[in-house]
Amino acid sequence: MLTLTDKAAPAPGATTRLRVPLRDFGTLLGLVLIVLVFAVAAPGFLTERNLLNILQQSSINACVALGMTLVIVSGGIDLSVGPVAALSAVLSASLMVAGVPPVLAVMAGLALGAACGAVNGALICFGGLQPFIVTLGTLSTYRALALIATDGNPIFGVPQSFRALVNGNVGGLPMAVVVVLVVALLAGLILRKTPFGEYLLAVGGNEEAAHIAGVPIALTKIGAYMLSGLLAALAAMILVGRLGAAEPILGNLWELEAIAAAAIGGASLMGGKGSILGTLLGAVILGAMRNGLTLMNVQAFYQLLATGLIILFAMLVDRFARGRA
Amino acid sequence: MASDAPSRLHIQGLTKRFPGVVALGEMSLRVRPGEVHALLGENGAGKSTLMRILSGVLRPDEGTIAVDGEELTLRSPLAARRAGIAMIHQELQQVPELTVAQNMFLGRALRRGGLFVDRARQEALAAEALAPLDSAIRPDAPIRSLRVAQRQIVEIARALLDNARIIAMDEPTSSLTPSEFERLAAVIAGLAARGVSIIYVSHKMDEVFRICSRATIMRDGRFVADLDLAGTTESAVVAQMVGRELAVAQHRSSVRSETVLSVRGLTAGTKVVDASFDLRRGEVLGIAGLIGSGRTELLRLIAGADRRSSGTVTVNGRPLMRAGTRAAIAAGIGLVPEERKRDGIVPHRSMVANVALPSMPRFAPRGIIRGRRLRAEAGRLLAEVNLRPMQIDRPIRLFSGGNQQKGIIARWIAAGTQILLFDEPTRGIDIGAKAEIYGLIERLAAEGKSVIVVSSELPELLRLSDRVLVMRQGRIAAELPREALSEQAIVAHAVPQSVRAA
Repeated sequence: MLTLTDKAAPAPGATTRLRVPLRDFGTLLGLVLIVLVFAVAAPGFLTERNLLNILQQSSINACVALGMTLVIVSGGIDLSVGPVAALSAVLSASLMVAGVPPVLAVMAGLALGAACGAVNGALICFGGLQPFIVTLGTLSTYRALALIATDGNPIFGVPQSFRALVNGNVGGLPMAVVVVLVVALLAGLILRKTPFGEYLLAVGGNEEAAHIAGVPIALTKIGAYMLSGLLAALAAMILVGRLGAAEPILGNLWELEAIAAAAIGGASLMGGKGSILGTLLGAVILGAMRNGLTLMNVQAFYQLLATGLIILFAMLVDRFARGRA
Repeated sequence: MASDAPSRLHIQGLTKRFPGVVALGEMSLRVRPGEVHALLGENGAGKSTLMRILSGVLRPDEGTIAVDGEELTLRSPLAARRAGIAMIHQELQQVPELTVAQNMFLGRALRRGGLFVDRARQEALAAEALAPLDSAIRPDAPIRSLRVAQRQIVEIARALLDNARIIAMDEPTSSLTPSEFERLAAVIAGLAARGVSIIYVSHKMDEVFRICSRATIMRDGRFVADLDLAGTTESAVVAQMVGRELAVAQHRSSVRSETVLSVRGLTAGTKVVDASFDLRRGEVLGIAGLIGSGRTELLRLIAGADRRSSGTVTVNGRPLMRAGTRAAIAAGIGLVPEERKRDGIVPHRSMVANVALPSMPRFAPRGIIRGRRLRAEAGRLLAEVNLRPMQIDRPIRLFSGGNQQKGIIARWIAAGTQILLFDEPTRGIDIGAKAEIYGLIERLAAEGKSVIVVSSELPELLRLSDRVLVMRQGRIAAELPREALSEQAIVAHAVPQSVRAA
């Protein structure tokens, strides 16, 4: 039997082990910088109430972005999250208005979200189509279904009990924030501690090698899109609770916000890389930007500009921090 | 020797540091006009860093580069080209959809009236440059229609258009057939006769001795020796590269009686036709054949990586019913692919994660991965295959080819695989690590596992195999028992009839 002959060479292993947290640390540093700037520039920014407000405003995007992160890690993209959210919102709200207990109505909405994701995944795996094209197609299709089902009209009259639950507090934190934190913990557990998470990273990192190593490619991808659909639906539930109504046009441009949060957080659109903590921080960065600029009475046009610039800046920093080659 | 003979290329004191490593330490290299000079060293010795500096991609921290006595600073690939240094990379950098001429003038198209590309003149000049090398290549043919060997010739012709004085070739023969190699050797000799200096990077010693006159050997980023190849031997050169003598091992057989794998009538289109054979416990079965003879395809069919159109694969008496790699892995079959980067590793994941990939369900009995157990077991296996450096959390892409291969072997040991299918097990692997891979294959067989080895390197097959199947045009053309094994016998069966008759 062969034995270990060489002493392990020093150093590189240690730094590579730090790499992932290091990237998250960079995202955190970015957030701290933005908070510091607004603390000086925007009066009323650095108050407990406003900070909680930011978290609450970021929670919907964070929820969608967590699902998006899993899909991006698997080497795909999900452009259909907004319409999936709209479909689920319309279904759940209609059921609640019709007198179905909110718990069942929510479950139905979540199940529909997961089912929409399963359709995306199946088209990608068995139809042999590009994720971008498939979800671009279902982006329109799901939106159309939501509009057709409601005739384009919002659904009003969501029960007060449901609204109170969603808008309530748990231990001083808004319910939506608590839900997102729990989802993030679960997503982190899935990505780091389960075979499914390993498969996601492997499929996104090198699909052909994963295939040779016996990874169930189709199941893994479909699972990722189902989780993305499920979390888009969950985000829709939070929004329905907040608004007290479900609009078939809700979720417009959610996909872009979610992709932005994941990318700022360090997910690689090439697949195989992504961070749950990073995505959370990315969503909060986007939320804090918007909140701070609003407090400073900056026009919406310029807010959009700032969002665009922050994404480009984050990506450039990322690129140069990793160096060329 | 005349040390004051004029140098075409003279590199002195070249140093390049990366964070934590010295990739090159005061490297020197001297190449004369019209000389074919081999640059030899194990993977990681610093050859590619040197090549990248020479082609203007990387900048050295210290040291000088002089071409024909003129000291140069190579700030960019363009500057290197202007200085007359051309690179022929292992993976050719061409645009497949464009024509030969368009590729040759890529980035510096000839213009007419300052705006329109002068295709006619480009093609005329391309034809002129190609004529002495291979007149069969048409300048207006798209690159994708050419064979790899012809694409290489196009790259060389492009270098000549640049008036290159130095052409560096990185593993130029890795995907060439023997006859294509002969042609390339003739082209290289012709270039040298015209006064062009060639730097030839290769692991294949027989080729180096065939076409190069001198060699510079490097190890650990440093200069070791500058040798006249006529006055030395292969084993002396290898010893200098590795820093120690390699023992030449004898074949060891551990074949047992029982049959583990039975393949019957396995067919996939015209790539593999009606393949039938048995594999016994502890046996190492070699598969020889030319590139394109269906060897790789046969392995992939057995491993479930591709779909078979007919035929059966039976493991321990039980036929594989379902298609796919998962069924094959469950039956105890594992593939160690030729193209590690493409089919073997998940580059950004750690060595442990790559080892554990097919064994995930076992390491996560209740759905949650038991990290400590996984790391302990994968670590033990990686120590057994002698991973170096023994850093199991390091991303696998940062390991050398040999160590990545050890990782893939550890992967299948962890998965309890009984039948290992090796496709070109030592492709792109150092000479030192090669011996280790051979040792591992023999150890696996001795422990009662069965192995199939597909290889283009005949000495490798002769060293390892208890029996060799020779494939020709998708079919198993011959079965050679150990006693009948010889390079001549293999070649005689591998070459198609039509070619032999001609």
